[in-house]
Amino acid sequence: MSTPIRVRVRMYQVGFGDCFLVSVEYDAPLPDGRDTRHILIDFGTSHSPREGMARGRMGDVAALIEEHTGGELDVLVVTHRHRDHLRGFEVDAGAAIMKRLAPKLVVRSWTEDPELSETANGPAAAPDETAGVSRASARYAALLAEAQEQVAGLATLVGLDDEVRAAAEDQLKNAEAVALLNELSRDGRGRYLHAGMDSGLADVVPGLEATVLGPPTVDQDPRVARQREEDPEYWLTALGASLRVVGSAAQADARSPITHGPGPVRWLIDRLANQRSRSAARLVRDLDDALNNTSVILLLKVGGVSLLFSGDAQIENWRHTLDQLGDDADLRDRLAKIDLYKVGHHGSRNATPRSLHALWKARAADLPRLAAVMSTRQGVHGRNDNAVPQQHLVAALREVADLYSTDDLDGGEEYLELVADAARGPFRIVPPPA
Amino acid sequence: MTDGVEYAEHADEPRTHVTLRLIAQDPAVSGDDGRILTARVKVPWSRMEDGPRGARLHVVDYDTATGRYVKHAPLGKDDLFADADDEVLRTDLAFHAQHVYATAARTLSTFETALGRRLPWGFGSHQLYLVPHAFAEANAYYSFEDRALLFGYVPPADPRGEAVFTCLSHDVVVHETTHAVLDGLRRRFLEPSLPDQAAFHEGFADIVALLSVFSMRPVIEQALGKPDRSGRIPRGRIQPDALRKSMLARVAEQIGSVLTQGRGALRESALNPPPADWAKRPEFVEPHRRGEVLVAIAFDLLIEIWYRRLQALFSRPNGETAGGRGITVDRARAAEEGAKAASQLLHMLIRGLDYLPPVEFDFGDLLNAVLLADNELVPDDDLGYRQLLMAGFAKAGIQRSSDRVTDVLEAELAPHYLGINFAGLRSDRDEVFRFLWQNARRLDVSTDYYTVIESVLPTQRIGPDGLIVPESVATYVQMADMTAREFTDESGLQLSPAIDPRTPIQLFGGGTLIFDQFGRLKLHIHKRLDDWRRQQKRLDHLERTGRRDSSARLGFSDGFARGQTFAELHRTQQDSGETW
Repeated sequence: MSTPIRVRVRMYQVGFGDCFLVSVEYDAPLPDGRDTRHILIDFGTSHSPREGMARGRMGDVAALIEEHTGGELDVLVVTHRHRDHLRGFEVDAGAAIMKRLAPKLVVRSWTEDPELSETANGPAAAPDETAGVSRASARYAALLAEAQEQVAGLATLVGLDDEVRAAAEDQLKNAEAVALLNELSRDGRGRYLHAGMDSGLADVVPGLEATVLGPPTVDQDPRVARQREEDPEYWLTALGASLRVVGSAAQADARSPITHGPGPVRWLIDRLANQRSRSAARLVRDLDDALNNTSVILLLKVGGVSLLFSGDAQIENWRHTLDQLGDDADLRDRLAKIDLYKVGHHGSRNATPRSLHALWKARAADLPRLAAVMSTRQGVHGRNDNAVPQQHLVAALREVADLYSTDDLDGGEEYLELVADAARGPFRIVPPPA
Repeated sequence: MTDGVEYAEHADEPRTHVTLRLIAQDPAVSGDDGRILTARVKVPWSRMEDGPRGARLHVVDYDTATGRYVKHAPLGKDDLFADADDEVLRTDLAFHAQHVYATAARTLSTFETALGRRLPWGFGSHQLYLVPHAFAEANAYYSFEDRALLFGYVPPADPRGEAVFTCLSHDVVVHETTHAVLDGLRRRFLEPSLPDQAAFHEGFADIVALLSVFSMRPVIEQALGKPDRSGRIPRGRIQPDALRKSMLARVAEQIGSVLTQGRGALRESALNPPPADWAKRPEFVEPHRRGEVLVAIAFDLLIEIWYRRLQALFSRPNGETAGGRGITVDRARAAEEGAKAASQLLHMLIRGLDYLPPVEFDFGDLLNAVLLADNELVPDDDLGYRQLLMAGFAKAGIQRSSDRVTDVLEAELAPHYLGINFAGLRSDRDEVFRFLWQNARRLDVSTDYYTVIESVLPTQRIGPDGLIVPESVATYVQMADMTAREFTDESGLQLSPAIDPRTPIQLFGGGTLIFDQFGRLKLHIHKRLDDWRRQQKRLDHLERTGRRDSSARLGFSDGFARGQTFAELHRTQQDSGETW
């Protein structure tokens, strides 16, 4: 029987975005003759690397992945449908290579189940149960898709800040990428996860235990949808309706020119143009939050090492897990002792729960040091207290972990590689060839 | 020909007030008759123009999402909506304009009555814009830059549905108006500071909203439950526990139901009083959550004061004493006492605002200020409200700050007034500065730091004995810019290691001076700039929560436009304390 001996994590230089290859190496060939299994977690970028760094074009990244996997991919995980996590699938070269790699298992969030979104156009059309997902949850997924539809209108708006337009573009449905993923998921290869489900990863990667911590369905934890108790759809329907009004008014160019002489009313109306942009920006950000919270959170364990990949899950998604920490000593222990943490949501302020950080801070001194990995180009999103990565989060992470960031790769490296002995860790950086 | 002065008015012009019908809570709340619960209230009136536009408020009904602009007629003597049916109230934009104008005017007037003077807005203009349909979004906020309160609405999910308007929610309008008023009174309370300060803005705005809803009798009547045929309710319904329960269930629970994000605070705080160890819990750093502590205290006080006021209704001539079974009380009278209690408590709290320090608010300051102000105006305190207040704050673990107030009249070294123009102390910033300069040593104010008199405001308040208490309130602010290294050198205290010693930091201090009618200083409420421990706590807090400005400086203005601070605040959810 083959036993895992090493775990290798490659973090590709994509600029702003996530793209990780986790490879499990065995001491003896598996039945198919290969001695390695590969899991690709996300394949996206929204902003290329800074000047002077590797090019980070997704076609080039795909070629590297093909080389590193030896042309065969076992598992593809797409945490959620944001461009910085799946842009590569839209690029011709990337798409072609992904088809060649033909992943045996394609893992996405329960909200991405094509059966669900096709049939979930309204409560009446939604099935009672689809793969354990109830009507309320199905409706939630459908509303998300509708809101994305509305945001597409915003991206073409006249008179909105460039920043808002750019933010809106990040929320697009990424239809091409999703179509390709649906194609790759055919013939039973797709699996749509929610918290507590069996991921199916162990069937493809022997010796790997994968725990699905998130996302919860709306039934499992209504807070993920930030809903009012008495009105299960209020918030998302409201968001969709608001986006529709903002989008349609602009598309039809319905605004009538206001004829006001100089005076207080004109002064205010001129100023309110800014508010319009800001309001649109807030709506877009609400959708952004909702999509981030559909991220798959995976806790992987191979032999004696464990890795935590949480996509862009924010607190609303995490809460389902955090609430269990009080009673579930085993889960607490497992999260405390992880060896590698993919920094959540590019280091934003609400994606690495303080409770988790507290667990790591209280780790026993004899445990190997935690490795944290982050592929976030700085200065792309947010300013000051909204910036990613959050500098005080970064500082806090450095207290408890060795932090590796692709944004620090100034020698033009195309990826950063960490490797751990599967029996005991810790992850150490693989120095580039001299 | 007339003899002497002509007193005739235009027949259709009111003089100072009009009576208008308002939605008492929000359109989702209905009364005994199943219709939207409304109240007829007296609203301050001034000469009106289109908008409606009065001396202090200007409604501009412009929708940024659709570009629609509607100009509404001025408010006149006759309430066009006095008998309007529910659908009109919900959908008629002219009523929305009237509602937002009247509610804001009433709120402003509550503050002006309690403080005994006109209150300026925080921006340099006299009229606050009210925008009842500002954007298609479940949000409402005070925008300093736009000199406006912006109210959003949630469009219907399908074309047959109706939109939900935040401008029709009484508590939302009062809450936002309160932000604007507070900003005019204490503009430094939006500076980056310890968490109590932002919590105060949110908590106080919620308290005013809650008490304002309670001060409308129909709301309380509904909450007290159906009366018998003679309009009476069982005595058991007005015991403190029963009051607490019914008011929580029927009033507080419905407040804030228009908005899902952030504005559920009132309901949450009234339903879930803060845990004993709230001050240590990370989730109570979030302003709304922390502000709920104040709201919970105010709600308890309201019930206590109300109950004391109800005592007079209990004993019947020749009847059983209070407490017996079968005893009933007139519902309207009981509700009236509740409305009075709410109004009294609200005035008591607002009066305290003048006695707050101008910078670096903490919860103890509020208790302190309310007690000081009340003591000046109501020396007797027959009903023991001050004891109640102290007990209420003490229950939440909030103590009166002890070392910040100097009773100058009792001080060993009285200030001297040589060369000071007493009349100037009631109106002139430079004269007050001169006074402060002369008495810097006696008042223990360091002259090492930049000092500026921010405001000098005369007030005239009427006490319960009918006599006028004239005072004048001046505030000064002190500022110092230095580096983190200079701070540690100066204070001997260490800052968080995450703060680079070269980081520029800004420190604030200041005080409030209360002069009597003769220009003699009575009280000095002081936040020393060189209270290094407070400054250390503040800087570490700002660093921990990532509040650096765009040049990575600490403690300076936080880089957000002030209006956007509120826009963001009102979107924050009930924070779990997990964010960085």
